[in-house]
Amino acid sequence: MAKRAVTINVNGAEHPVEVDITDRLIDVLRDQLNLKSVKEGCSTGDCGICAVLVDGKLVNSCLMLAAQCDGRRVTTLEGLLEDPAMKRMQGSFIANNAAQCGFCTPAMLMASWDLARHSPEPSSEEIKVAISGILCRCTGYYQIIDSVRQGCEKGGR
Amino acid sequence: MSEQVSQLLDSLRAKAEKGELLYIGENVVRVDSLEKVLGNPVYTADLIPKGTIYAKLFHSSIPHGIVKRMDLGAARSHPGVLGVLTSKDIPGLNESSAVLPDRQLFSDPVVRSTGDILGAVIAETSPSASDAAAKITVDYERLPTIFDPIKALEAGAVKVHEKGNIARQMRIRKGNVEEGFSRSDIVFEKTYRTQFQDAAPLEPEVGLAIPEDGGVRVIGSMQSPHHTQAAVAKVLKLPPEKVRVIQAVTGGAFGPKSDETPYDVCSTAALAAVKFRRPVYCGMDREDSMVMHTKRHPFVISHKTGVSKDGMLLADESRIVGDTGAYASLGVFVIVRATFHTVGAYEVPNVKADSYLVYTNNTYTGSLRGFGGPQAIFAIESQMEELARRLGMDPLEFRVRNMLLPGKKNATSAVMDASCGLPQCVEKVVNSSNYREKARRYRSQTGNARRGLGIALLMHGNSLGPEGNDYGAVHVEVLSDGSVSVGSGLTEYGTGAISGMMQVASSVLGVPLSRFKLERPDTSKHRESGPTVASRVVVIGGNASKLAAEKLRSRIIPLAAEMLKSDPENVAMADGVAFDRRDPSSTVQWDDIVAEAYRRGISLKEDGFFMAPAAPWDQEVGQGTPYVQYTWGALVVEVEVDMGTGCYRVVGAHAAYDVGKAVNPAGVLGQIYGGTVQGLGYAMMEELLHKDGVVVNPNLGDYYIPTSMDIPEEFKAFIVEVPGPLGPFGAKIIAEPPIVLPGAAVRNAVLNATGVSVDDLPVTSEKVLMGMKTEAAAHYR
Repeated sequence: MAKRAVTINVNGAEHPVEVDITDRLIDVLRDQLNLKSVKEGCSTGDCGICAVLVDGKLVNSCLMLAAQCDGRRVTTLEGLLEDPAMKRMQGSFIANNAAQCGFCTPAMLMASWDLARHSPEPSSEEIKVAISGILCRCTGYYQIIDSVRQGCEKGGR
Repeated sequence: MSEQVSQLLDSLRAKAEKGELLYIGENVVRVDSLEKVLGNPVYTADLIPKGTIYAKLFHSSIPHGIVKRMDLGAARSHPGVLGVLTSKDIPGLNESSAVLPDRQLFSDPVVRSTGDILGAVIAETSPSASDAAAKITVDYERLPTIFDPIKALEAGAVKVHEKGNIARQMRIRKGNVEEGFSRSDIVFEKTYRTQFQDAAPLEPEVGLAIPEDGGVRVIGSMQSPHHTQAAVAKVLKLPPEKVRVIQAVTGGAFGPKSDETPYDVCSTAALAAVKFRRPVYCGMDREDSMVMHTKRHPFVISHKTGVSKDGMLLADESRIVGDTGAYASLGVFVIVRATFHTVGAYEVPNVKADSYLVYTNNTYTGSLRGFGGPQAIFAIESQMEELARRLGMDPLEFRVRNMLLPGKKNATSAVMDASCGLPQCVEKVVNSSNYREKARRYRSQTGNARRGLGIALLMHGNSLGPEGNDYGAVHVEVLSDGSVSVGSGLTEYGTGAISGMMQVASSVLGVPLSRFKLERPDTSKHRESGPTVASRVVVIGGNASKLAAEKLRSRIIPLAAEMLKSDPENVAMADGVAFDRRDPSSTVQWDDIVAEAYRRGISLKEDGFFMAPAAPWDQEVGQGTPYVQYTWGALVVEVEVDMGTGCYRVVGAHAAYDVGKAVNPAGVLGQIYGGTVQGLGYAMMEELLHKDGVVVNPNLGDYYIPTSMDIPEEFKAFIVEVPGPLGPFGAKIIAEPPIVLPGAAVRNAVLNATGVSVDDLPVTSEKVLMGMKTEAAAHYR
């Protein structure tokens, strides 16, 4: 398999990595950089639980090649654990019982944090749209939506 | 101390002083919330050590045949491949079955479905194992096939197994239906059908095996580690203690992970780990899972029901056929639960039911949330709606007239006791949905967008009942640092039930759940506690946890009394502080009591064991008390249908469940929301399609499950608490019940909006549109 040397900025640090040209972003994040919050649920871009931010945009890391990320900024939940807005969101998820099996939780948090940055007081409809790319099989979404609404208070600021 | 904290402590103390329950009924934070929002590496795939190799299962491409030859050469020589495992590599029994020994781990030589596993490719990387598996070619001698469970029952049908196509038969004989029909003013017959549903837990089935100590350590995503241990040991021909099974944090389960698929991935990983002396990960991807794991049984249920003019049910005869696919799995119990619930939440004086679990060449079906309930209740609640229309009676009124109440008898002739909270549930949803006013108003609708209400009622038997002894064992140990460690063979896989079980111990001890830690279920440490199924953790495990905590308390309180220079009967404990009721300023901290106990060598570990009372029933006539108590519920959904296209959406849902006692109300609501939405998926969109035995939509792009955009705009959930006799503090089960009602409620709502009866789930817009084009529908409009 052809190898390629790329440098990806992951969670604020430059990571020179050697990747197969067919390696997906999720493979490099999980297997090379040990970022296990990124989950794989379908491998076809349908479930969204592998969502990470690439240059500030929410993407499915199972649908993006690692080689495409050369020179780009990638953010996973691990990179936001000290971020006040993320902490607020996590606290809200805990308080509202929004994590059941927890497998979609990191991606839900990424989507919610991303929403909070842009929309300090989102409506239920905006929240539903913001998390619509991520499937949750446990909660029926209601307690997640409540969490996001409360976690967005004062926005991401 | 902040004011809030001190207020909380005051209220807990007041409760403790009066001997009232602590923590129970409060929205206590789950023990596993933090690790989940931190994205901690706690799931099986997160725990793969360096040097792990990968197993990729490969399966039959035809639904019935004999494997003549497998060409494994190209796979073996694929780069990175270490070997290919087939039935010949199994040292022990080639068997992977939960109840009946009808299924092999690697099918040889007969394949009975396209989900039959033939073997596994073992390679250095996951892609190389997958690529190599794609190169395997198999020559089959094709055998005739049968996919329709009704035809499979006919004489001369193609036999899926030598013994024939009936895996299990069951019946109910209550009263005399012929006599009931002869007294009836209306006798109405109809047949209802349900589809294959995929549980689709977001984490598919995965197992990791690491060779150790002449045996193997298995870490996996599963509901029942001890059952998995037995299954793996049988395949590897190892004594069970050489197979140590640990349940990793599990990313959703919903039933299939209590069935045979976890055996498949764990046995395969363990086989390869022993053979290659390396850690092996056997993870199904989504397609593997949707093809090879168990789904919800499609059922064909026919009801013949007799009613009097004034709307009293007099007799019901049903024929229940469940398609178990190629193998029985836990389906042998699914059919039993479905049969016991055949007339649902109603009193019918004469009941006759004959049910059959039938083999076909479809992929196999098994345990899935609700466990036969969703199919049975879809049929009877659809039948109730049809009967109400024929009687010219309001469907709510008709149901209320016939529903079970204390003193009435269900289909098994069990007499309902005072813990039947069905009427309270009905009242909640009827008021919340403004049912009576809206139902009247919606009768005279015109125009393109029309609304309809649908109602369905629930009886759901608690306890394993017919499936075996219902017991649980829980170990509670206070460590020297004052934390409380809880271990059990019962598992958490998302619902929060294990936290609820621990909350019970927390309440008894008067120590907050934040001081509690959950041990990973581990067969080398925790005793067998039966399967984690039937939503029984809070009820059965909760009782065991209560017993263990009470035994600890009986040693801790006297010690605290001594330290307080008081008497045990005057000592109460709240939030980790023991105090003298006569002089609340005299206190001693939990940590100090624990330290003192350790100094004196007082043991602070206990096991609690609880066994549910027997649930006897007569197999000949299906009569008796197969369940120890019942969960009750009611659901009203409101739909809006576009009369031009048949497209519809659920605009409102009003659900009430009698859970006896809500140990953690936020957790109970989570089950009501989540189960209802999973049930709405079943009602509206989910269908795993087979074409000639091949699954045609094994992915989450073509098999739709509800997204955040599909949920009802309005959802009102109500907790009703009529204490039951079985669970701690009166608790009843709740994880499964909410998935049961949406099928019928949606179907009935669409019927009331459009006049179209959709008798086969899911109720798709296409079916509604086709229905509206028929004359019968025009009659109702």
